Amino acid sequence: MIEPFRTSFDVACAPDHAFAAWTQKASSWWPVEHTASHEAGTKILFEPRVGGRIFERTPGGLEIEWGEVVEWDPPRRLRYLWHIATDPEHATDVEIVFRELPDSSTRIEIEHGGWERLGEIAQSWREANRAGWDGVLPSYMSACRVS
Amino acid sequence: MKAKAHRGDPFDALGNSYRRAIVELLADQPHSVQEIADRMPISRPAVSRHLRLLNRAGLVTDQQVGTRRLYRLDEQGAEAARKYLAQVWGHVGTRFRLFAENTRPLTQRR
Repeated sequence: MIEPFRTSFDVACAPDHAFAAWTQKASSWWPVEHTASHEAGTKILFEPRVGGRIFERTPGGLEIEWGEVVEWDPPRRLRYLWHIATDPEHATDVEIVFRELPDSSTRIEIEHGGWERLGEIAQSWREANRAGWDGVLPSYMSACRVS
Repeated sequence: MKAKAHRGDPFDALGNSYRRAIVELLADQPHSVQEIADRMPISRPAVSRHLRLLNRAGLVTDQQVGTRRLYRLDEQGAEAARKYLAQVWGHVGTRFRLFAENTRPLTQRR
């Protein structure tokens, strides 16, 4: 098991606004350098349901899939498979929790895991390289954890 | 190979299954480009391209050993991997916070 990356931060707004901003307005804040097309004016769209697509649409109308919604629980929790720039079967997992704080601001907790999902190709020699898998890489990835 | 000219992003480094596979392979022991290519269904030039991206992300380094150039995980790679994910999600978080804190609730806009 490779340790997921975890991070969190607080936002001075209520969870319902934070959830809506994340899922309906991603085009306004998601860094364009972290899109697949890297094109200015690219829209980032979430279909608001389990099984919904997450994709970007370039100004030229090209649609590039990023992933699939796995859990849709507004305004508390959002989970999706994220396979931007790789095959869907090699997707990583992203979970975003929107936790209401006593002052009605929101703590955003992000967990990005599923690094071990390497697909069949990697699986075949993963068995042959068990020592390597059990040795260096888990500590390598566990260092990704932010406390 | 010049190291760390800039950091990659998750789509350029660990976001790709072949690059994750290369990282896992190098976790076992150092390998040449040819040895990596022999174990994967992609060409030697493709392996070289992936190694360049991994190098830029600070995860992999190389060393000339006799006539062979061997690639291995950078000893600083664990820190690089942590920093790199922290940087990406930090960037995303900062931009998200600015947007969310400076917009009205979408459903209550007048």
